[in-house]
Amino acid sequence: MYFLEQLINGICQGSIYALMAIGYAVIYGVVGLVTFTYGEIIMMGSFSAFYYFIAFGNNLWMALIAGFITAALVGVVVHKVCYQRFLDAPRYISLICTIGMSMFLKNLATILFGSEMKGMPTFFGGKFISIGTIRVGYLQLIIIAVVIILTVLLTIYLKKTRMGMRLRAVSQDKKAAALVGINVKTTTLIGNCIGCGLGGVAGILLGVYYNSVLPTMGGMAGLKAFSAMVLGGLGSIVGSAISGVIIGVVENLGIALTSSGLRDVFAFVLLVLILFIRPQGLFGKKGN
Amino acid sequence: MLKKILVIVLSLSLLIGVFAGCQKTEEAGVIKIGVAAPITGNYAEYGKGFDVATQMAVDKINAAGGINGKTVELVLMDSKGDAKEATEIARKFTEDPEILAVVGDFSSTCCMATAPIYTEAKMVQISPTASHPDYAGMSEYMFSVMGRQDAEGPFVAEYLAQKYVGAEKMAVIYLNNDWGVSAHTNILKRAEEIGLEVTAVENFVDGEKDFTATLTKIRQTNPDTLCLVMFYNELVIISKQIKQMGWEDVKIIALGPGISEQIVQLGGADVEGIATSTPFMVSPDNTVAVAFKNEFEQKAGFTLNVHSACAYDATNMLAKAIGNLGDNVTREAIAAELSNMKDFVGITGPIIFTANGDVFRKYLIAQIENNKWVQKTDYSYVD
Repeated sequence: MYFLEQLINGICQGSIYALMAIGYAVIYGVVGLVTFTYGEIIMMGSFSAFYYFIAFGNNLWMALIAGFITAALVGVVVHKVCYQRFLDAPRYISLICTIGMSMFLKNLATILFGSEMKGMPTFFGGKFISIGTIRVGYLQLIIIAVVIILTVLLTIYLKKTRMGMRLRAVSQDKKAAALVGINVKTTTLIGNCIGCGLGGVAGILLGVYYNSVLPTMGGMAGLKAFSAMVLGGLGSIVGSAISGVIIGVVENLGIALTSSGLRDVFAFVLLVLILFIRPQGLFGKKGN
Repeated sequence: MLKKILVIVLSLSLLIGVFAGCQKTEEAGVIKIGVAAPITGNYAEYGKGFDVATQMAVDKINAAGGINGKTVELVLMDSKGDAKEATEIARKFTEDPEILAVVGDFSSTCCMATAPIYTEAKMVQISPTASHPDYAGMSEYMFSVMGRQDAEGPFVAEYLAQKYVGAEKMAVIYLNNDWGVSAHTNILKRAEEIGLEVTAVENFVDGEKDFTATLTKIRQTNPDTLCLVMFYNELVIISKQIKQMGWEDVKIIALGPGISEQIVQLGGADVEGIATSTPFMVSPDNTVAVAFKNEFEQKAGFTLNVHSACAYDATNMLAKAIGNLGDNVTREAIAAELSNMKDFVGITGPIIFTANGDVFRKYLIAQIENNKWVQKTDYSYVD
């Protein structure tokens, strides 16, 4: 029973990782590059919710929308600065540009918001559903639900709409997409914004779940998102989602068995082990 | 053309640098004291308090004519609560011949990391807050003002946990660093001696944000009291996550954060009822302390905590030692003067160093009631 409860903790934490990883995978898909700014996008989303709560009261749903929009707007800036001008340049230029952007955003946040930790309001405080002796918090259920809904929406968008089709085409082959008349620049921008927006929402969930926001929170979050995406097979959305949940569950069960000090050890040893056995990731295709 | 201008500007700026250097060494009649404090990072509230309190002490000394006619100047550096940064600062301080002694750092980890560097330079490091039992004994140049873990830990177990909140089964979560390990060991030792059952002991590394798994694990063992050995950020996060998971029937006590205002501000209703031990709290009939508290709060913008009061005392003590030495001030002599000082009374009470260079203190219990820290017991609670 106890392990079941820890499993639910893990799934909840893992679903936040999954959402971060999905956003990352979308960005990786359309841009074709890993980004180091993603952690800071997550942090920006989290802070936007923090200030939303102060300004307009504790409405989680509206804050999620506000966070999505803020993060997407930051995504536009990242796109203009780091990608747009370097689409045809050597790829490492964009890569290094995202590192610089990450430092810039982190320091900007420290100057604007202060370096100290801020407390998030408690949502559905103390309410939980009892199943036998197992307790599942309302907040945990809401987090899992939000992640599932967003994943389904994204899948519908990518598979059923023309815009989504264009996104997928650009992900597969930029030149071929351009040849059939797709505006690669605009499509990349939209894909990047959607990815960042999802990151922003994940950041809010992270902040609410941990009850805290911090300008430096993006570093580890970005690393976890990256790990989940790599574990799932670079750019695979389904793979990223499942890997995110796996990392969360492994972390929490690891803590249940040993101590919280070893949290990241479990996450990253798992990453190394799986890459050792399946270098293409859990759901990646060989030769990608 | 542009190049020429650039060359001229650059060489001018170099020249200015040279003259600035000259001026510095010619300036006489200044006593420089280093301050190492975590101005940013996880312990920023304490660092800010150090900054304000040490500056207040120095302003007061300078207003009264300085030390033997010399004005005192502080050189503040930000260690970020990071031992690597702290050792860098220690190197800078020891290499600057003008700096006579150092007030700082905040954490035992930083102080113990820098101790060998200061010792080699025969320079005093007087820490307002380091409470690890091994720290002050590391050399004759290391001092600590706030008291030792092996006095506070047992107090927390016997008086705060067992006598005050009436704990029968207690769980402990501690911050995994030098201080946390030593502090929680002292609690566990006394808990065993007095028959207080400890159901679980968990730890975390600095920067951890998600305690859900740890708390779920601890709740399985069904303790009636949770003892948190950590500072304000994690304390608040844990209290919030306890509320979040609907765990109502547990009392929270804390060792480490002191009467920190950040806890009340960040935690709001979720930290109501938390009790902690503190060596010092301003009582209304102590006019000197009240005046200090008011001035501090006006300058710092937050409520006076014990750590800042200790920083104030540490600075004054150092100034007194330097003053006693007259014209024969050397880095080495300050250490001997400090350990022989028997008549210093600070804001936090009389301070007399033990042979190791630290202080044994008595403790009070404070609790959060209606969003405010309230003193609940006096020094006679220990019988």
